[in-house]
Amino acid sequence: MIIDWYTVLFQIINFLVLVFLLRRFLYGPIVRAMEERERKIVAREEEAEARTRESEEEARAYRQKTAELEERDRELLDQARSEAEKEGQRLLKETRNRVEETRQRWQREVAREKEVFLRELRSRMGRQACLIARRCLKDLADAELETMIWNVFLRKLKALSPEESGPLQEAFSREKQVLLSSSFEPAAKRLEETAASLEEIFAQKVQLAHQKDAGLVCGVELEVGGYRVAWSVEDYLEDVEKEILAHLEQSEKEALPDAEAG
Amino acid sequence: MQISPDEITLFQFGWLHINATIFVTWIIMALLVVGSWLVTRNLQSEGPMSRWQNLLEVLVGAIAAQIREVGSRASGPYLPFIGTLFIFIAVSNVLSVVPGYVPPTSSLSTTAALAISVFLAVPVFGISQQGLRRYAGQYLQPTFFMLPFNVIGEISRTLALAVRLYGNIMSGTIIVAILLGIAPLFFPIVMQVLGLLTGLIQAYIFAILAMVYIASASRTHENIEGKGE
Repeated sequence: MIIDWYTVLFQIINFLVLVFLLRRFLYGPIVRAMEERERKIVAREEEAEARTRESEEEARAYRQKTAELEERDRELLDQARSEAEKEGQRLLKETRNRVEETRQRWQREVAREKEVFLRELRSRMGRQACLIARRCLKDLADAELETMIWNVFLRKLKALSPEESGPLQEAFSREKQVLLSSSFEPAAKRLEETAASLEEIFAQKVQLAHQKDAGLVCGVELEVGGYRVAWSVEDYLEDVEKEILAHLEQSEKEALPDAEAG
Repeated sequence: MQISPDEITLFQFGWLHINATIFVTWIIMALLVVGSWLVTRNLQSEGPMSRWQNLLEVLVGAIAAQIREVGSRASGPYLPFIGTLFIFIAVSNVLSVVPGYVPPTSSLSTTAALAISVFLAVPVFGISQQGLRRYAGQYLQPTFFMLPFNVIGEISRTLALAVRLYGNIMSGTIIVAILLGIAPLFFPIVMQVLGLLTGLIQAYIFAILAMVYIASASRTHENIEGKGE
């Protein structure tokens, strides 16, 4: 018999058992492993894709940020440059101003020094002129001149107005002392003449003291209790000097604004 | 000369006698199960994997791909059945290069057993896929009068399945045996190489046909639905 049904039954059972065992030991595990691998690969690919996307996003963000930073850098640089330029201009201007100021101050200083020097020079010249005049008069002084001086003094004394002689009288009545100073030793006659003139003015006897005073230049001075009547070239010289100095001052004041403006 | 290994009785325990077919089948089963267990006990789903795992993955992947190609649907439920058919028949046939080995597939009892398994599997899968009514209605297509012919077709293709495999393998074994007597050198080797090729082709044909039968029993459902629409 070709077909042995006993064997057929056995083989069917064998085959079904084999199907079960292989399903348990072969297909199940292998299919599971393959599916798991596929799942993992898919997951990895997705992850990689996500990471790529993320990194691209990040790269783009970084590029943008870099561009922004560059832009800001450029702006800052431009700003700094313009500020530096402005600052430079300002400093230059300031320096120029300062230099200008210094120059002006120097000019003013120089002008002032010049002025001072000139003033000094002028005043010295004035004084010198007066000194020369004094010396001339001193050198010229002799008996003739003295006489003339004394006469002039007496004339002045006599020609005193009541307003002038009033205080003099008052002072005399208080002190009762008259001091006569002159740059030279007068003759006794002169003294008497003077005393007579004074008695005329004060209407009483006068005690006259005399002293020589070299400070008086060609002059005579009479002092009663702090009140003084004098004639001297010195007075004129002083007047002249005062006038000269006043004149100089005037001219300086006029010149100074010009120097400051310059 | 013995035509069938069924006639070689190895053990006898009362009424229970174990012939060569059954014994060799057990050996093949043991090989397959132990081999699979050894490989699949530590599978890697990541990183480098063993060559054996790679081999089994290629094999299972190819079978699943074939099932999808024929059945045009998920291979999941059919894979153990169709895959085991292919692997068992292929291993049985390929081992015939071992001298003294008698393939169990050269026994009509084995091939008949496998064919009967397919014969039973067709309605099982068909009913599980589309229900009893639809599956039974398939035999009444296109008309009621076609029922006997459909049933005869079902049986005859099962018979053809069994005999095709049996004939091919048995003839290969017998041809080698005859040629050994006529031309003992070289020529049997060529025939054996041819036998290996034939054996693999037969395993493929058997598995594919089984899948086609099962798929046709399950696919009608879709066709009916398609017509209904």
